[in-house]
Amino acid sequence: MKSKITKLSINGFEHIVLVNPDETLVFTLRERLNFTGTKKCCDEGTCGSCTILVDGIPVLGCLTPTVRCVGKTIITIEGISSKEDLHPVQKYLVKNGGLQCGFCTPGVVMTAIPFLDEHPNANREKIKEGLSGNLCRCTGYKKIIDAVENAGKELKV
Amino acid sequence: MEYYHIPSSVEETLSIADNYSGNYTYFAGGTDIQIYRKQKLDTHDHIIDLSRLDELKSITVNKDHLHLGAMTTLDDIISSDIINSNYPLISEAAKSVATPVIRKTATIGGNLLVNNRCIFYNQSKEWRDSIGSCLKDKGDICQVTGGNKSCYARNVSDTATALVALESEIIFLTPSGSIQKPLTELYLPCGIKSNELDEHSILTGITIPIKAEKWWYRKLRLRKTLDFTSLTVAATVDSDRIARICLNGVSMSPVLIKEALKSLTLESLIKQARKNCKTVENDLMPLKYRREMINVYLKECWETLH
Ligand SMILES: Cc1cc2nc3c(=O)[nH]c(=O)nc-3n(C[C@H](O)[C@H](O)[C@H](O)COP(=O)(O)OP(=O)(O)OC[C@H]3O[C@@H](n4cnc5c(N)ncnc54)[C@H](O)[C@@H]3O)c2cc1C
Ligand code: SF4
Ligand code: FES
Ligand code: FES
Repeated sequence: MKSKITKLSINGFEHIVLVNPDETLVFTLRERLNFTGTKKCCDEGTCGSCTILVDGIPVLGCLTPTVRCVGKTIITIEGISSKEDLHPVQKYLVKNGGLQCGFCTPGVVMTAIPFLDEHPNANREKIKEGLSGNLCRCTGYKKIIDAVENAGKELKV
Repeated sequence: MEYYHIPSSVEETLSIADNYSGNYTYFAGGTDIQIYRKQKLDTHDHIIDLSRLDELKSITVNKDHLHLGAMTTLDDIISSDIINSNYPLISEAAKSVATPVIRKTATIGGNLLVNNRCIFYNQSKEWRDSIGSCLKDKGDICQVTGGNKSCYARNVSDTATALVALESEIIFLTPSGSIQKPLTELYLPCGIKSNELDEHSILTGITIPIKAEKWWYRKLRLRKTLDFTSLTVAATVDSDRIARICLNGVSMSPVLIKEALKSLTLESLIKQARKNCKTVENDLMPLKYRREMINVYLKECWETLH
């Protein structure tokens, strides 16, 4: 298959990049554009670590064809906050110890933010369900759920 | 030459499909088919992406029928008040598919046409090469049975289970016009060619005629999320007391048992189910356990239906 010049809007900037019609967004971001914040782990939809926002909707970067995203707004973990000013979800992940190796963390953040937007009153059970596609091999999940619950409370006030 | 096509109307889709006849793959959400691309199980040169077909994204109720456009996402179905209050079985089934994030991309049409699965087939190319490919992968023997005639890859669509139990019909468009027929007739009892949607046609929608007076739904899987089914059962009783019990994940196509409730017994239900399900050792859960669970689920379901 022939590569194609493709224009992508990522975190507010336009990028022009040669893309293979068969490639997925996580590959383009990491391998062609050096946005390595987004992690690739299973590469087949089963771990959530590659979650990205496309037009505000969380999608799995390893299943999303890059060419489908032309004309859409892509936000990666790099576009969520600056170093000094963390998003509440990030802040509480740090504060509550919701990460160890950190490999799943970008995916957790990119899932939790749109989840809390959509379900501002979510209880613990609902948060667990909302994050059920994000696998973490380190934390045992409790502290991740604590962090998202606390971020939800802060975002409401 | 373009390899990735994103048409904006159904007509344009059919004309692109006609141009590349035999050498294209439709991507609806892409959450199933993308993995087959990566595993080199789907190698067509052209991808036709249906994600801009807004005309196929709809949930409407007319004359007591519910109509779902094929490109409606599972998440839209779960969040629909009309469906939750009138067709809770459909949202229950949709909720049991994959994960919340995947359901925002996965479509109902794609779910009805999800590829049949088998532990010897849904593997990386290297894995398959190491044991020799099977019938479904252009090989000459079935790794499960050792035979060379049939493929027993399982139909794993959870929403098909519910929609068959609701007597749904599907609508597809061919170059010669639109065709509507019962969803059960879409499926073929074959693990390789598991549905009869042919080249040049596209699934456009699903029509659901009945409302269930009683319903029951359960899905057996290893984890509460992420996993494909090892056994899904959906059952309904309508206002004329006709029972429809559909089992999936245990045969090449959904198995429907439809009978007046007054003549049906639990024993005959179990007997018919066990006879019609061509269950073989091709899932992560052992065959003996899955067979036993057919009885367990049908017993539980019977208590609600009766
Ligand atoms: C981690 C994970 C877990 C999953 N769990 C489940 C599960 O529990 N249950 C389940 O059923 N599935 C599951 N899936 C598979 C998949 O996500 C769902 O089946 C989903 O509903 C498929 O919809 P889609 O729109 O993404 O289909 P696609 O992948 O786009 O398409 C599926 C097939 O249908 C064809 N197709 C799609 N739409 C049309 C149309 N309108 N006309 C003609 N052909 C069409 C495509 O060419 C393809 O062959 C899972 C996937 C992943 C990655
Ligand atoms: S049932 Fe047999 S032929 Fe079919 S996919 Fe499995 S191993 Fe291959
Ligand atoms: S890398 Fe995409 S879900 Fe695991
Ligand atoms: S912190 Fe290591 S995988 Fe989650």
